[in-house]
Amino acid sequence: MTDLVQTLIDGLGRGSIYALLALGIALIFGVMHLLNFAHGETVTVGAYIAYASLVEMELSWWVTAILIFFGAIAISVVIEFVAFRWVRGAEDFTMLLTSFGVVFVVQAFFVMYAGATVRSFPRPEWADRVWQVGDLNVGVIDVVTIGATAISLAVTAYVLRRTMFGTSLRAAAEDFDAARLMGVRSNRVIRQAFIVAGALAGVAAVFYLMRTGQARPVVGLAPMLKGILAAIVGGLGSLSGAVLGGFVLGITEVVLRAWLPEYLVGLTDAVVFAFIGLFFVFRPQGLIPVEAGERV
Amino acid sequence: MRSLLAGRVGSQVVGSLALFLILVLGGLLYASVGSVTRDILVTQMLINAMMVVGIQLFIGNTGILSFGHIGFAGIAGYTFVLLAMSTEWKERVLPNAPLGLVDISLHPFGATAVAMIVTLLVAVLLGFGLVRSGARSGAVAATVITLALLFVVHEVGTVYADLTGGRNGISLSIGVLLEGRTWVYVALFASILGSRLFKSSRVGRLAQAARDDDLAARSVGIDPAPGQMIALLLSVAIVSVAACLRVFELGTVAPSTFFFDYTLLTLVMIIVGGRKSITGSLLGVVVFTAVNELTRSLAGSGSGAGPLDLVLREGLTDIVLGAAMVGFMIFRPNGLIEDRELDDWVRTRLRRQEPRPAAPGPAPAPALATLRATDVVVDFGGFRALDRADLEASNQHIVGIIGPNGAGKTTLLNVVTGLIRPDEGSVTLKDRSIAGVEPFSIARAGLARTFQTMRLFPSLTVRENVAVASLSVRAHREDGGGPSVDELIAHAGLWELRDRRARELDYGNARRLELARAAALTPVFMLLDEPTSGMSDTESLAMIDEVRRMAECVGAGVVVIDHDLGFITGICDTIHCFDQGTVISTGTPAEIQADPAVQAAYLGVTAEA
Repeated sequence: MTDLVQTLIDGLGRGSIYALLALGIALIFGVMHLLNFAHGETVTVGAYIAYASLVEMELSWWVTAILIFFGAIAISVVIEFVAFRWVRGAEDFTMLLTSFGVVFVVQAFFVMYAGATVRSFPRPEWADRVWQVGDLNVGVIDVVTIGATAISLAVTAYVLRRTMFGTSLRAAAEDFDAARLMGVRSNRVIRQAFIVAGALAGVAAVFYLMRTGQARPVVGLAPMLKGILAAIVGGLGSLSGAVLGGFVLGITEVVLRAWLPEYLVGLTDAVVFAFIGLFFVFRPQGLIPVEAGERV
Repeated sequence: MRSLLAGRVGSQVVGSLALFLILVLGGLLYASVGSVTRDILVTQMLINAMMVVGIQLFIGNTGILSFGHIGFAGIAGYTFVLLAMSTEWKERVLPNAPLGLVDISLHPFGATAVAMIVTLLVAVLLGFGLVRSGARSGAVAATVITLALLFVVHEVGTVYADLTGGRNGISLSIGVLLEGRTWVYVALFASILGSRLFKSSRVGRLAQAARDDDLAARSVGIDPAPGQMIALLLSVAIVSVAACLRVFELGTVAPSTFFFDYTLLTLVMIIVGGRKSITGSLLGVVVFTAVNELTRSLAGSGSGAGPLDLVLREGLTDIVLGAAMVGFMIFRPNGLIEDRELDDWVRTRLRRQEPRPAAPGPAPAPALATLRATDVVVDFGGFRALDRADLEASNQHIVGIIGPNGAGKTTLLNVVTGLIRPDEGSVTLKDRSIAGVEPFSIARAGLARTFQTMRLFPSLTVRENVAVASLSVRAHREDGGGPSVDELIAHAGLWELRDRRARELDYGNARRLELARAAALTPVFMLLDEPTSGMSDTESLAMIDEVRRMAECVGAGVVVIDHDLGFITGICDTIHCFDQGTVISTGTPAEIQADPAVQAAYLGVTAEA
């Protein structure tokens, strides 16, 4: 029982970050059928903001967190405006490669600007603290992450369900062409999707960076990949599925870490990737089929 | 077929040689002036060219985007190193290697062969998912599978240090050295030739048809899976040899040797020139080797070779690559030369001199055959699209289906051709059940269809469009016979356009081509979904003649859906009128026109109103 609760807490802590990223990825996939590899670059930008703010300007983590949040929104919107807007409605092939290319442009920018080496910044001092509750070891960072994620998801759910803006966004995610015919303005709704996705990624970036405390040009790759896998496991386009996928991925990782023999623990990620890859070998349509098919 | 294969090997050897020589001589010319680094650069370019040819073979012919080919390369590269290292060296750098690897040391050829086999085994496994992901569920499955491969290889390379040397990799110390570039030349030429032969082969054309339009391919009897699998295996074979050469040339292998950066580089090379063209991909290799040199010299000039310069150079190259990728996707997603090959214009010129084939006579009267759909029910969610619909057609007649929009006409056609599985009811052709059978099997069994929104294979030529249909069926039926591909093309009035790509045709000719393609299946029935949509009245009436002519020359019955009453009453012997998912009236054109129920369905009035 204790083990189970412990696993759950650790898993939700990790899974929260994936869930937030996956939700943004699913939202963007919904409105423009784009699998956004560049979504992880919100984390990369956040990492360098953190370095600049904490180390060079010696600001507090509170201020830094706010800067990361808005930085993530900004980069998300800029990428949409510079790249994705122009390939809207193109073949899958074109859009996939566009987002792949954007990843490299952002990374290369930081290689030139800051170098390929790791730049460390201080993590908040409470990040390593652990609360003892009975037999449980509850990491403070896990509790804070889960709490912040819950709030973010609640706010997002409220925005999506209760506001006009949210309704048009959901309508566009369901059926983009129909939504357009009903007067939803396409450029605006797509920009809004990138704003919401960027904001969610901003929250994810804050807590991811509080854990890792490192900035590198490639820092965004791992969380991006996990976010994409989570969104795909959840059925892509299904928003609640994406969130669920994130948590499932987080818990799976924690379970694997506990279950794998000592010398293979380092391969947890590899096992997760292999598992998901093989899953799609045997079931290419995914857990929940992505789309019914085309009209002939 | 004959037209596709004639003189194939000879002309492909010449074409490959031309590409190969341009690449090699250009490289040697560049290397002949300047320092030794240029020599290394040329070797790397040739190896990259081979890698690119390998990846293009898969992406270009199948249209499935793979991010994982460099993962395959990684597997091959590591296997090669582990097998080819001398035992003494291995004892020093990898003393804990598992599986008794420490005691094994093979000649580089043997190591390459084993590396290729190991990689092919992985490819077969992943291939099952890749080929089924095709166009149906979008590119998502292929993306996940290939990305997972890339990351797993990278992670294992980084973490499992006993086997791979970890993050810093393994440096190579092999007893036997391959002298000069001889083997690079041999391997590169073989790759180009292999890729070109595949592209022009029967299997290759079928794969390209499925790439252009998966659904249309299935409807002309093509099962895309075998072609895609063969493309994958050939492609991975080339990539694994290229990987061994790359490792050999670099003298080291590390997780970063085969990861994102190299994936980006090779993909950019492929798409910039044109991913459907071998010539295009090689052009991409040349362009980006040049761009790389340019950025190198740009960033390198100035203060000399300090560490800052190195950073600038790495960053600059990647920015150029990434920006090129995005830029090309936005402005020219099909690349500089799209799907053309170096020798295309030569071949078109040669073809011009062929004599025009004589018109085929009408086929001998076929034995009576019946297509029958009984009590077919299809539910889309809560909406009942077909509600106990019936259809009976004999191949001696032309049967029409009319009805208002949403009456279920196309749905019935989709059920009959296997695109939709009926919830209830039976479909039989010649008294054999075909309900729930794969579309390509139904096409082979004798049902050829056209689509409401024309579906040709746009990047194949007119002749190839017809030929793939003919090929796919003749391989599965003994009776053969029927007019040849060229006769059909001439008969459809497309002879002058036979070497044009389908996407270049105007609307009327495209419709004619779709009809000829359907006839090439020598079907029992041709099922035509609104063949006159978008046509003027005169064109529609001309279509009556064309449909008749094509059907007669292959001896097929016709079932045709249309809204144009002039056309449908002019061509049909019998007409079924559909409304709300069921047949409301059947009869001769005159009877149908007089039926009050038909008028009510069309005009929306009820009998008593």
